[in-house]
Amino acid sequence: MSAKALELRGVVKHFPLRSLMSYGKSVHAMDDVSFTLESGGSLALVGESGSGKTTTASVIARLYERDSGELIVDGEPAKPFRNRSESLAYKRKVQLIFQDPFGCLNPTHRIRSILERPFLIHGLADGASDLEAKLRGILEQVGLTPAEDFLDRFPHELSGGQRQRINIARTFAAGPSIVLADEPTSMLDVSIRMGVMNMMLDLKERNGVSYLYITHDLAGARYMCTTIAVMYAGMIMEIGSTEDVIGQALHPYVKLLKSASPAPESGLTRTRLEAKGEIPSLIAPPVGCRFHPRCPHVRPECREAVPELRDVGGGRKVRCILV
Amino acid sequence: MAETALEVKNLSAGYATVKGFVRAVDDVSFTLTKGEFMGIAGESGCGKSTLAYAIMRILRDRARIESGSIWFKGKDFASLPLEDVEPHRWTDMAMVFQSAMNALNPVLSIGEQLTDAVHAHRQVTKAEAEGMAVAMLELVDINADRLRSYPHQLSGGMRQRVMIAMALILHPDLLIMDEPTTALDVVVQRSILEKIEELQTKLGFSVIFITHDLSLLVEISDALAIMYAGKIVECGPARELFSSPSHPYTQGLMDSFPSLTGPMVRIEGIKGKAPDLLSPPPGCRFAPRCPKVSPACLEAPGPGLVPSGSRRSCACVLVGGDR
Repeated sequence: MSAKALELRGVVKHFPLRSLMSYGKSVHAMDDVSFTLESGGSLALVGESGSGKTTTASVIARLYERDSGELIVDGEPAKPFRNRSESLAYKRKVQLIFQDPFGCLNPTHRIRSILERPFLIHGLADGASDLEAKLRGILEQVGLTPAEDFLDRFPHELSGGQRQRINIARTFAAGPSIVLADEPTSMLDVSIRMGVMNMMLDLKERNGVSYLYITHDLAGARYMCTTIAVMYAGMIMEIGSTEDVIGQALHPYVKLLKSASPAPESGLTRTRLEAKGEIPSLIAPPVGCRFHPRCPHVRPECREAVPELRDVGGGRKVRCILV
Repeated sequence: MAETALEVKNLSAGYATVKGFVRAVDDVSFTLTKGEFMGIAGESGCGKSTLAYAIMRILRDRARIESGSIWFKGKDFASLPLEDVEPHRWTDMAMVFQSAMNALNPVLSIGEQLTDAVHAHRQVTKAEAEGMAVAMLELVDINADRLRSYPHQLSGGMRQRVMIAMALILHPDLLIMDEPTTALDVVVQRSILEKIEELQTKLGFSVIFITHDLSLLVEISDALAIMYAGKIVECGPARELFSSPSHPYTQGLMDSFPSLTGPMVRIEGIKGKAPDLLSPPPGCRFAPRCPKVSPACLEAPGPGLVPSGSRRSCACVLVGGDR
């Protein structure tokens, strides 16, 4: 039996709006989000902007706490931190790669000081020489060699790809078991994306971590992960093995997403999009299925109640009454 | 016989900086036939936006056209005084800018902005201009009652459609689009592309579509030009370029997008990073990153575009070539 690295059960996160005009309303960023990430596995969370995927990562990293639902990491239900050491221990285990390699490295610090911090904060180095060796080791792992060319430089002296590698090195420095990668390549130039993605796959093999890989790119999700969960307007619409979900999408939204994604290799003949429109407001999400205003197969009952995320066999779940 | 809409010959343009002149567009030549959809693909800093700005003659401040010609409507736009270019701008050639959020004035309603474009170039009454704005908005599927809306009241996709409506309101012959869909989600992006194709069939204008997303361009373009470090390295019919790329950079780019269908293979992208345009490599600019580099590649001057088929040309010593 494979162990579960991470499990979410019915997690809800709403952000209250505090302005006078919208008092009492809230942004429904995550509603009834449930999934399991196997130990050593990789799960892609795919969705458009505003679908709640970054909120999901932040809730798992506990940058902010969920409103309700269960979050289970390594078999242990997450409870409020009682002291700093509990919080540190959790954050050591669960690390987050941020999207923007330009914004997430302090421009006034040298690479050495940026990379030292996780070792110092978590007390992972045994003296100065051990720290130095570990810094070199981690730079080597992300393909930045020789290390002395990088350690004493500032972030602005590095290219976007190199900065993202530093960012990833920092994530792996603490020796996490779960890595949450929030669109790690979306801000990089196309020609260097593959290098970073391949490096992440190698790092995963070598360090035996589990990935939650957040992206809006279905093809990239397929490249990186064995399981895919597609989110729409704060809810998971379909989850299953990558080959099943992409090869034979069941939910109308997933079909739409697939038909909109560029796939020049599949013969260049395109069918027109079945649905138009954009993601609904999450302040007042549609009653019933959140996709129903755009769904080409909508039925009256879709407008009444939120469909359940139903098991359709083969480890696959779909949130649609028509499937 | 296909009529030529635009011919760019040996165009060089760039920016004066404190460190010297950066030639962002270096000896670029291409021909756009009437009604054609031409894609220009390249990574950030390759000069693709500078090329668009040069054609529109909206390079400002420290940027200028150095040499070359831009033949459009029987005139050389590169050497024409600005006041003679003015009457052609927007009436004959128009542009859709990358960020609709920043390109639209936040304190004017979209109706005012659309009619402004008309009044600037045509002697029409207020009612006539408004009529044109409504007709154009309907073409891009935006309801006429949105005329009184302000940009912040529209979604990202709608704003971009307003930009398209504004660019097309005077029925130009040439539409230049600079990364018009980059900030948009895939479904919205696809619906906008479908809209442009539909309008192009209806109105018969030519399109230059600039983006870094090659997988998208391959599907929608008739012709494709690949830019690298200020130069066009390969051009030809989009499908041919996709199925049999000649230039190692084009090959690398095609190998930078994971596929959505078909067998999963590890792809490598391109190693290294683009050169600094202040001091580009003396020979072929791609040589430092090229997996097939040979001594001849390092000799100055680098290879120029040489026809390598009926409608294709490529700038590489390994392909046809003049060496």
